[in-house]
Amino acid sequence: MLEIQNLTLHADGRSLIKDLSLVVPGDGITALIGPSGCGKTSVLKWMAGILPDAFQTHGTALLDGKPISLPHRGLCYQPQSDALFPWLTIAENAAMGLEIAGLPRRIALAQVTALFAPFGLAGCEAQFPAQLSGGMRQRAAFLRTIVQDSRLVLLDEPFSALDAVTRLRMQDWLLSRLSDRPRGVLLVTHDLHEATGIADRILVMAANPGRIIAEIDVPGQPGARTEAILADLRETLKTLLLEQTP
Amino acid sequence: MLQRTLPTLVLTACLLGGWEIYCRQSGVSPLILPAPTEVISALIRERSEIGRHAVSTLSVAALGFSLSVSFAVLTSILLHFKPWLRRGLMPLFVTSQTIPLVALAPLMILWFGFGMLPKVLLVVLVTFFPILLSLLSGYRQTPPAFRDLLASMGAGRWTIFRRATLPSARAAFLAGLRISATYAIVATIFAEYAGARRGLGIYILTAKNNFRADLVLSAVVVSATLTLALLGLIRLLDWLSARGPEARGNA
Repeated sequence: MLEIQNLTLHADGRSLIKDLSLVVPGDGITALIGPSGCGKTSVLKWMAGILPDAFQTHGTALLDGKPISLPHRGLCYQPQSDALFPWLTIAENAAMGLEIAGLPRRIALAQVTALFAPFGLAGCEAQFPAQLSGGMRQRAAFLRTIVQDSRLVLLDEPFSALDAVTRLRMQDWLLSRLSDRPRGVLLVTHDLHEATGIADRILVMAANPGRIIAEIDVPGQPGARTEAILADLRETLKTLLLEQTP
Repeated sequence: MLQRTLPTLVLTACLLGGWEIYCRQSGVSPLILPAPTEVISALIRERSEIGRHAVSTLSVAALGFSLSVSFAVLTSILLHFKPWLRRGLMPLFVTSQTIPLVALAPLMILWFGFGMLPKVLLVVLVTFFPILLSLLSGYRQTPPAFRDLLASMGAGRWTIFRRATLPSARAAFLAGLRISATYAIVATIFAEYAGARRGLGIYILTAKNNFRADLVLSAVVVSATLTLALLGLIRLLDWLSARGPEARGNA
């Protein structure tokens, strides 16, 4: 379980996030939604340890109750774009995290290659990112994230660049992969359908300064919720978000 | 391949044909403007002498260019990791490019003699800056998502540079190499022109003093061939080092 306590972010003398506290359980998906500019991505980047130096930050991150410094091996980040290196094969891209963690290249490649079939990427090992479709690229990026065996995964709008059909397929696919390899996920998204469809909990942020204004447990199992529940939930979220918009 | 080079070949053939016809029809003296066929004849006749000078020019240019590439790569890495040094040194590098070669080449000869050193230094001075600038510009083109991803994995600054920044600068580096390669031979010839015992520069100077325009132009043909060969070598390097279908297609 990841716990963030009293996170405050300042930049250019402006307070972007103020006293934000949240909890991401060790399994299931927690969605973080909010209006543009409320600081969702900044919170995620802080957790990933990649916030630019221009930000002044205060706050504590606890993993299973113990304070940790960031970046941390237990937290794995996937940026908005798939960020696959075009000069590396899909297998080399997927093995990158393991290599950086200190695993010899040969062993890292062997580990990721074994996962290509369950991730629907069989036969793509020696291909380059430009040869893959958008959905397959996201799967490869997700394989790179999952294979690092971290406790929690930080996803920054991972499906935003995909078309509607591929996005729905990828959401189902993500749930299926997480049921094979359970771990906690913090998903930043703008899409209310995505948040209500696949998340177990939804955290709603407000802007100026960024803070959590609501925490909603989504009833039922992801993928098995009735349209009535989802519609009610979306309406609640819409009301909360519109109240924050001037 | 043929489709890409055909327009250039046709245009070159037209220009040479026009030049040949003009020389034959106008009756212009070969001392003023020799026809292309006369230039080629002179080149074949004097191939041994021109060849010796060309080898000397190529040696200086190759050595100077290699040193220049090495210095530029090392300097770019240093400036990438030390922004304060970049802010301090870049104005000096820019100023160095404003010094006219016509002033610098004779001074180099005066300071370092007629050997290889002044010519190599001049080639380094002329070719270093475009490569350095291309590399620094290439480093800046690294997608932030690549750096963020590696940093989130716990990669240090050097690992991020090696895995993301350096490969991202590949295309810019090759563009800088191509620009500098075109200067390398010309800079060597200019240095030799200012003072040398061997080389195409001194050959051109001697031929000019003897009113042998055919030999001057023969040396120009050799100089152009050397530059094109250098560019061809860079293209080969590009092709061999390309990874991924897009890179290979553009190489």
